[in-house]
Amino acid sequence: MSAALLNYYQALAAAAPAEHAYQAVGRERLSLVDLPNRKQEGWRYTPLAPILDHQFSAASREEGLLEPEDIVPLRVTPADHVCVVLLNGFFMPELSTLPAQVGLEVLDLEQAIQNSAAGIERLGSLSGDCLHLFGAVNAALTGAGAYLRVTDKLSQPVEVLHINYSFDSDVISSPRLLVQVEANASLTLLEQHVKFADSLNMHNGLTEIFLGEGAELLHPRLQNDSLRTRHLSSLYTQQAAGSLYKGTTLALGSAWSRTEFHLDFVGGHAHCELNGFYLAGEQQMQSMHLDVLHSVPDCSSRETFKGILYGQGKGVFDGNILVKKDAQKTDARLSNDNLLLSRDAEIDTKPRLEIYADDVQCSHGTTVGQIDPEMLFYLRARGIPKAEATGMICQGFAAELIAHCEYPALETKALAILQERLTPVAADL
Amino acid sequence: MLSIKDLHASINGKEILKGLSLDMGAGEVHAIMGPNGSGKSTLSKVLAGREEYEVTSGTVTYQGENLLEMSPEERAHQGIFMAFQYPVELPGVNNTYFMQASLNAIRKARGEPELNSLNFIKLVRTKLKALEMDESLLKRSVNTGFSGGEMKRNEILQMTLLEPTLSILDETDSGLDIDALRMVSMGVNSLRSPERSMLVITHYQRLLDYIQPDYVHVLSGGRIIRSGDKSLALELEEKGYGWLQEEAAA
Repeated sequence: MSAALLNYYQALAAAAPAEHAYQAVGRERLSLVDLPNRKQEGWRYTPLAPILDHQFSAASREEGLLEPEDIVPLRVTPADHVCVVLLNGFFMPELSTLPAQVGLEVLDLEQAIQNSAAGIERLGSLSGDCLHLFGAVNAALTGAGAYLRVTDKLSQPVEVLHINYSFDSDVISSPRLLVQVEANASLTLLEQHVKFADSLNMHNGLTEIFLGEGAELLHPRLQNDSLRTRHLSSLYTQQAAGSLYKGTTLALGSAWSRTEFHLDFVGGHAHCELNGFYLAGEQQMQSMHLDVLHSVPDCSSRETFKGILYGQGKGVFDGNILVKKDAQKTDARLSNDNLLLSRDAEIDTKPRLEIYADDVQCSHGTTVGQIDPEMLFYLRARGIPKAEATGMICQGFAAELIAHCEYPALETKALAILQERLTPVAADL
Repeated sequence: MLSIKDLHASINGKEILKGLSLDMGAGEVHAIMGPNGSGKSTLSKVLAGREEYEVTSGTVTYQGENLLEMSPEERAHQGIFMAFQYPVELPGVNNTYFMQASLNAIRKARGEPELNSLNFIKLVRTKLKALEMDESLLKRSVNTGFSGGEMKRNEILQMTLLEPTLSILDETDSGLDIDALRMVSMGVNSLRSPERSMLVITHYQRLLDYIQPDYVHVLSGGRIIRSGDKSLALELEEKGYGWLQEEAAA
């Protein structure tokens, strides 16, 4: 099986038109890489059958599948704001809303590469050449996706909508986002992975974010793929001195989901706040992997993750903060709190700190608990029926984290999805 | 209104209430006083329906119905309200949303129309003003990060909103400064009426200066060992509980 799948993806990569040098990295890696397996630390707790038991075929650009009217109800930003629609990973200008905005450049990644857009040479420089199988597939198929460059403080948010919807089934889409927020510029970038159809597919996205000196990025992400989707996102950030990144990922959908965060600092006094929430029920698997690298002094990071698990849902939290010898005065805190609603739900949580500097403030903590009977009694004593009370406690647990999105329309949408999913669960407890 | 007969209750196999009997009529305010460990809090929790407490024998009849068969929420629907000694923090649950959900759950159970958000806000604002409470409490998560005084005021705010038939105040005065105590008492007194009864559980006579009870009971060793009018509270303030416990033992 393993050789067959590797051969399959190698052939897939070879069949793709090799238009860019970036693809060579992926192809080369595909000839060296092993399949992910549970002997590898980073995949130890992740069930692999859902992604390895299928041979997904490469997505292609499908015109005319959707109309602009289909997009409007999916958005959380006002209809006249910038919205980039990626259909099966491909930038669809006719579905996107692209008003000119001072300080913002939005390009189809393919074109940005062909036209050698300013800054495009940074593509692939964060993700590097040690990619795992699906990272290599993404690199080998480079072309789908978008390039965003921000050179000013933008007052309006930019929305990116990922839609997986195809005439074919078992499609793998491999979009790549390159985001550059130049020195002292700022941006709110909202990403949504929306449920559009219930077909089996795989999302295999890779995002690289560069923040210049004093740059700021607010980056809420809502993953609400269909419950048959396999979702893999790898996110890389690099922060220059004095920059601020605030990212909040809400993973609610998909059958199998893995989000990898690779955070890196290259200048002092940069701050990163990374928040994550996951909901795993029925047969779902949600996993979050953090690889936070403090290699320069005077930076701070806060990683706050929470999960609710029910039914036979499974969660994986694997968070590592590495503080290198020179990264004095690092201030890093990692926490992971989980709420288990059923006997069969499962969470594997593994927060880690690796510290080689001696003057740092670092902490990590993790909790796994059930609905607090004191809270439940308090609500019931106020007349609120048990099921509703249970739902309120869960919503509250999640709401604290969801509020970090700092974008009310997105928060409302996420809370509504949560309520819809949890109401029948709470009624059965 | 409420009739408790020979009530025995235990937690984790340890018997706390050992034959407690009490009768409360409509419109009456009863105070229950007693030393630590006498069973005051257990009584309030049993009345509110906390499932960890096991009633081993005895009966509790509320408005002619068997209270012990009702779930905590049913008791609230029937007009019972307990102001918690230690109100619970509900992180992430907005205080206004919580109170609206509570009021509407009770209205719904009674077949009354639910209040929409606008009407609810109007209502809660008038109650808030009467209690001289800060409006910012409405925007925060329920009890989360509240001071002791804020929590107790928040309990009384809920009580004035829900207008219960039977209110149980479980040591609501503990940890309150004199201003907060005055405010809490004002809220309680505003609800006094011929249809409503109140059970005021307290450690100190001080609260009873503000909320004047019709009857005072002394709870000790899981039973009521003495009942009287409000002068009993003053006597206790002066002499402590020792003499009564000795009498009861004799």
